[in-house]
Amino acid sequence: MATKSSKQMTAVSKLLDQLIKDGKVEAFAAAEKPLKPVWDKLVCARCALCYLYCPDAAISRQDDGYFDADRDLCKSCGICHRECWFGAISMQEVE
Amino acid sequence: MDTYTLFAGQFLPFNERYLPGGHNACAGSGTALALRHVYKALEDKNADLAQARWDETPAGMFAGREAAGAPVLIIPKAGENRLYICLDAEAAEKKISPEQLIKKSPAKAAASGCLYCATASPSHPFDLIEKVRRGWSAAGAAYIHILCPCPTAWGFEMENTVRIARMAVESRIFPLYEIAEGHYNITVEGVRPRTVADYAGRQARFASWKKAQIAALQEQTDKLYAQLQASAAREMN
Repeated sequence: MATKSSKQMTAVSKLLDQLIKDGKVEAFAAAEKPLKPVWDKLVCARCALCYLYCPDAAISRQDDGYFDADRDLCKSCGICHRECWFGAISMQEVE
Repeated sequence: MDTYTLFAGQFLPFNERYLPGGHNACAGSGTALALRHVYKALEDKNADLAQARWDETPAGMFAGREAAGAPVLIIPKAGENRLYICLDAEAAEKKISPEQLIKKSPAKAAASGCLYCATASPSHPFDLIEKVRRGWSAAGAAYIHILCPCPTAWGFEMENTVRIARMAVESRIFPLYEIAEGHYNITVEGVRPRTVADYAGRQARFASWKKAQIAALQEQTDKLYAQLQASAAREMN
């Protein structure tokens, strides 16, 4: 899995930072025991819905066509788990 | 099985050109998700996205009162034209009013000279991407109103952001339509419409609302949707 742990400032994150400064969007505060998505490859149909709905762009397609999340970027919101049609994603405590 | 399965999502480019390193907004933020798709739509459009900037929606000018104070992303296009993208996160419990929930901005924007106006929701990403691209290629100014559910302000679990956005579309309180050069077109027609009470019941910000208020909201929603359907039907004949 390709890691991209260092946070980069890009066009979108700069725009969002401005909104946080103006009080339009809440800033992120990490939970104590964050749960991370784990894919069941036997169930996953590679439909890319999790990729589409991730607000943090933490999910990326791997070389084999399946998806995985960058755990540094993931904020444990659980949208991928909720939106998965096939129930292939479970939220688990990792490490 | 794999040979015969095909999903629309697989045809998207899987590069994250504009959001490769995360951001600081809260978990499950609808604004962040909407912004991600807006940038994804314009990725290959040669748009000068570095010039994009925020502004407060000027009430009355081209947006309705409900969008006053909502941040508007202004992306310059060729010539003097601009693409306005309103990221409407509505309001928390204390400040919420029926006026804010029923959107009249696209019609107002169309009346004040925008050639392409549309509503979009992050729960329908392909629809959103298509509308942003159409707005970009329109000959004049374009206005796109995007609903951005906010888990903390609206009072729901952060995993339900997309679900709440979808329910807003299904309950027809936030119908997805476009006005291209004065022609109305409903782009997503709910097959099984929900009631507004169903939508409101899942958000803590409506906890203090009386049943009569919700019923009034339902009535307003139905009235506006019927108007919308009439405008869209007129185009077909």
